[in-house]
Amino acid sequence: MRDITIGQYYPARSIVHRADPRFKLVILLLYLITVFFCSSFFSFGFMTFFVLITVFLSRVPFLKVLKGLKMIIVILIITSLLTMVFYTDADATPLGEWWIFKIYLSGIYASIKLGWRLLLLVLMPTVLTLTSTPTELCDGLESLLSPLKKIKIPVHELALIMSIALRLIPTLIEETDKIMNAQKARGAAFESRNPFKKIKAMLPVLVPLFVSAFRRADDLADAMDSRCYRGAKGRTRMKVMKFHAGDVFALLFWCLITVCILFLNYNWLGWYFITVLGL
Amino acid sequence: MIDVRKLSFVYSPKTPFTTQALFDIDLKIETGDFFGIIGSTGAGKSTLVSHFNALTRIQKNSGTILIDDIDLSAKKLDLKKLRAKVGMVFQYPEHQLFDDTVEKDVMFGPKNLGLSVDEQRERAKQAIGLVGLNYNDMAERSPFELSGGQKRRVAIAGVLAMRPEILVLDEPTAGLDPIGKREIMELILNAKNMCPTVVMISHNMDEIAAYCNKIAVLGNGRITGVFEPKELFGSEALLARCGVELPLVTELAVKLSRAGLDIDRSILDEDELVRAILDLRSENNA
Repeated sequence: MRDITIGQYYPARSIVHRADPRFKLVILLLYLITVFFCSSFFSFGFMTFFVLITVFLSRVPFLKVLKGLKMIIVILIITSLLTMVFYTDADATPLGEWWIFKIYLSGIYASIKLGWRLLLLVLMPTVLTLTSTPTELCDGLESLLSPLKKIKIPVHELALIMSIALRLIPTLIEETDKIMNAQKARGAAFESRNPFKKIKAMLPVLVPLFVSAFRRADDLADAMDSRCYRGAKGRTRMKVMKFHAGDVFALLFWCLITVCILFLNYNWLGWYFITVLGL
Repeated sequence: MIDVRKLSFVYSPKTPFTTQALFDIDLKIETGDFFGIIGSTGAGKSTLVSHFNALTRIQKNSGTILIDDIDLSAKKLDLKKLRAKVGMVFQYPEHQLFDDTVEKDVMFGPKNLGLSVDEQRERAKQAIGLVGLNYNDMAERSPFELSGGQKRRVAIAGVLAMRPEILVLDEPTAGLDPIGKREIMELILNAKNMCPTVVMISHNMDEIAAYCNKIAVLGNGRITGVFEPKELFGSEALLARCGVELPLVTELAVKLSRAGLDIDRSILDEDELVRAILDLRSENNA
């Protein structure tokens, strides 16, 4: 059970780790939008270059980042392949033909671009979760969404629920571990292949786990009550989020990249070199 | 017999969170021992004992443990046999209760051993009696409606019902009141008639001093030493070196002796102290 990691924070000292989570979230959003504007191979390469720089700056081992992609690699390959074989281009002659499938050169390009885009879309969020703790992200989100309080959305309460849930995940995993060990010591076998038997075998773990989760919830509620917790009103933070010049600089820098991508895409001024780069 | 040889253990190897919990532990626990393991929090006590029934598997090239003739570092282990032989009572064992009646919960272990229903019931009956509960009252009650002390007894019964030869207890009295503590210790002593070897982790020096015949002190994942109770608690130098506190009884004896009374400083048992004081009084009267 210990191997399950929810949130995959990789502790290291780097400017990406230190950055204000609010800025990281905004940059991520900007980045994701920008990726959708990439259309030429040059713009994909351009984006990839800056993603790699971010990974480098974060001091997370590159293999660790690639591990985050393990989940989507199958989806990525399948979607790319399907795009390639079902792509139709009325103006061009197919490179090859087999049964109902026709392969076009533009189809190959399109599938590579699709795969690349998916890769970029997953890479950056991976870097974000590797470099920020779930709590940081939660606080950042609360701070970013706080204007919604004006229209009576209980942002603070939602964020609190989220952070309590996140906080208790490791505790519950530990608890599960303990209970499983206690039942294993009494000869319980959890290794059965049969799924129905497996669920039945989990019962001696689930019942105590629920009992303890409710006990914990009660204790937590009592503890909050006894410290006069009464929601968001008038509440201050122990860790006040502060942004630094570096955060603003990073945001401006990514804005610049977005502008570059938009230029590459739309070529408003009709520059010749962009036409050459645009593939 | 438990024979630990050069056992090491590392948590989360090859990650940034890696920590070594045990370093080259050598330890021998003989059949018939009431063996105490003490040491500060994080010394590796629980990690060590969780090896004894292979809940924690021995890592590659990290030593070995022999339990009678079973080699725990072997790749293929008969876990069922091992776990029937080594019973493990964890901290707050009442948290493992799950079934709707006490009897069924206690029968869980024997059932996993593949015994017949009659045999399971027979064992449950015996185990519930052994922990000092009335079988007829308890059998059909829900374990969740019992008091804290009763729950703990039922949980211990659940382990004893497997009829282990070695009983390992991780702080069996944590969180109980003094009377509850004493009752649990008495029932462990009672169970020892059936299950000859008992290994107990405890932070309560009075329990360790009164019940154990051998004590291993653990510090930062290493064995500081294995002592007899008189040897450990009788020597201030040794106590200071191991960072161990005196049992309250012994502390009282030491204070009385400092005050000028002729009392042995290595008394480990309340009854012994009372007797010494009474003897002293009758001597003075005479």
